[in-house]
Formats: sequence, C-alpha cells, structure tokens
Amino acid sequence: MARLIRRMALAVGAAGLVAAVLRLRGKGGTPPTGGGWRELTGPDLR
Amino acid sequence: MRAAIIGAGAVGARAARQLTATPDVGSLVIRDADEERARTVAAAMGPPAEADGGSGAEGLDVDVAVVTTPAGGHAELARRLLEAGAHVVSVSDDIDDVRGLLALDAEARERDRCVLAGAGFSPGMSCLLAAHAAARFDEVDEIHVARAGTGGPACARQHHQALAGHALDWRDGAWSRRMGGSGRELCWFPEPVRGRDCYRAALPDGLLLVPAFPGVERVTARLAANRRDRLSARLPMLRRPHPEGRVGAVRVEVRGRRGSTRDVVVLGAVDLPAVAAGAVAAVTAVEAAAGRCTSPGAAGLARSCDVLPVLTELARRGVRAAAFEGSRTD
Repeated sequence: MARLIRRMALAVGAAGLVAAVLRLRGKGGTPPTGGGWRELTGPDLR
Repeated sequence: MRAAIIGAGAVGARAARQLTATPDVGSLVIRDADEERARTVAAAMGPPAEADGGSGAEGLDVDVAVVTTPAGGHAELARRLLEAGAHVVSVSDDIDDVRGLLALDAEARERDRCVLAGAGFSPGMSCLLAAHAAARFDEVDEIHVARAGTGGPACARQHHQALAGHALDWRDGAWSRRMGGSGRELCWFPEPVRGRDCYRAALPDGLLLVPAFPGVERVTARLAANRRDRLSARLPMLRRPHPEGRVGAVRVEVRGRRGSTRDVVVLGAVDLPAVAAGAVAAVTAVEAAAGRCTSPGAAGLARSCDVLPVLTELARRGVRAAAFEGSRTD
C-alpha cells in the first residue's frame, strides 16, 4: 500500500514538474486577453 | 458586365442591391423558384435589374452568376452555369455544396472561369480576414474561425442543421470529424455581439482555408449557439425562423511565426449576416467578371481573390473589418 502511494506521489510530482516547465517555457502564442476592437482603416488595408 | 442572381431571398436581395449600385453592371437578371418574389425584388431594385421568369441556369447568358439559393444543389447549378460560360459565386455554407463546388476546379480551369465557393459572411468574409491576417506572418500554424448570427430563414435552418452535424477539424495534416455542439469555447466578437459561447458544427470553412494555406497545422470553425440551440439541434426546428436574424459577427484568429517569434492576430467583422453576405458575394462577383481573380478554377476567397482591394471595397460599402488589439500576457 505504501509503495502504491509512493508511486502515485511520484507520478503526480513528475506530471506537475512537466506541466510547470511547459507553463513557464511554452511558446504557444498566448492570445490577447485585454484591449478592444479597432476598425481597420486605410493603412491597414495597404 | 452582365450578372445574374439565382435566389432572391435575404442574401440574394442584398446582393442584387449591391450589384445594382455597381456602375460596371449593365444588366442584372434575378431568378427565384418563386417567380413573384423575383419580380418583387427586381421591381424594388429598378434598372438594370429585371426578373426574366426563368429558372436555374436555363438559357442564361451572363458573365457572372451569384447563387444565393438555400443550401443544397449549388454544385450542380454551378456546373450548368460553367457550361453556359459564366463565372460562378456561391454563398452556400453547406459542406456538401462546398465539396461539390471545389470538385469543379478542373472544369472551371478548362473553361477559364472562376467558381468562388463560400462567398458569404462565413465562409466568405472569414476567408478574406484569414488571408489578410496571414499576410502578417512568415508561416501560418493555426486558423480558428467563429461566427455568430444568421441571415434569412434558410440560413437559420442551415445553422440548426450544422449544430447537429459533424464538424471537420484540420489537425496535423488530417481531417478529424467531431460531434457538432461539442468543444465549447468563449469567443469575443466585435461590439455589439461581444462574448458568445461557440461550438463545433458542420461548417465548410476548413475545406476552403486548408488549400489556401499549405502547411497550416490546425483549422477549426465554430458557431455561436445557446443551450436551447444545442438541445434542439437534433430535433425538427421548434418554430418558424425569423425573416431576418439580428446583428451577427465573424472572428478569425490566426497564429503563426513572424521571424523568430510566434504571434496571434485576431480580426473580425460585425453586420447583419445577410447584408454582409450579399455585399461579399456582389463584390467578389464583380472581381470575377472583371478577370481579377488570381487564377481560374474553384476555390474559396482566401485563395482566389486579391484580398486587399476586396476588403477596401467592402469597407467602402459599409462592411468593415476590425482588429482585436489586446495586451499580451506573456
């Protein structure tokens, strides 16, 4: 039982470590989350 | 320029209005399965519009035909129009229609004609926005389209069926069929539509965008819907659709690489969907008839049109695009 718990803790810890690395180092191109819409005008359409 | 509109519903009437107001259009034939409706629309437009009482492509001698009939049968009608020597613009957002239209590519090339598939609001305006956003990247990785709102009753029925169908997602070089109504995502559209929950649906945007952007890894399309829409999607429509939907919007998110950095560009447009679809269809029809398509064949607007002049002309006609300018969080 103790071995099972140790293995589970190890698996959770490893997954957490990988997730943390991906979260901090990942380059997924975070989409804009603030700001607003601006109409495309002359210079944008050249 | 001689033009025809086949289908005088919400989108067809708006396309007719736009073509009537185009100086290059010398004659405009309006046809509909309901002859009375075609005559009413033609009378409302005035010259050069006229209803000739014909049906389909029969006896039509025009430079370009805009097909605005309800979804279904667009490919067969387009084939007949090609045989009659016309460029074809279709506003259908039905997957089978779009597949059939794209299959006319070889015939269109042989006849030196263009078949513009999905030339409405979405697909249509969405394809133009995707191409415009993609021009800012060296390499496009992902394109995600979302749309909200419906045009006329036929569009509302198509919306209903799309949620009950299977979505086509392009992922890592292959199509995957996903259940319509799944994959909820909160998408932010331009004002006044703002945030709407969007779901996978049977939409043809991917079929049109993937060939236009070789190497793209992911393409998805979603439809704004509420819980009642999702619940009732697999049932017959519970009530008759409205003659005209409210203000709708499209939103296109393009992710890609520019130099050594990865970035996201989000473009959108807001309008009455039937009005915008009519304007897109009319403007692209004029482009096709004037020989300004990039090459003969069957394709979506992202591949077949010179995007900037079309967007500029649409803006002049009141269909304006917008860019989402947000603050980066990384």
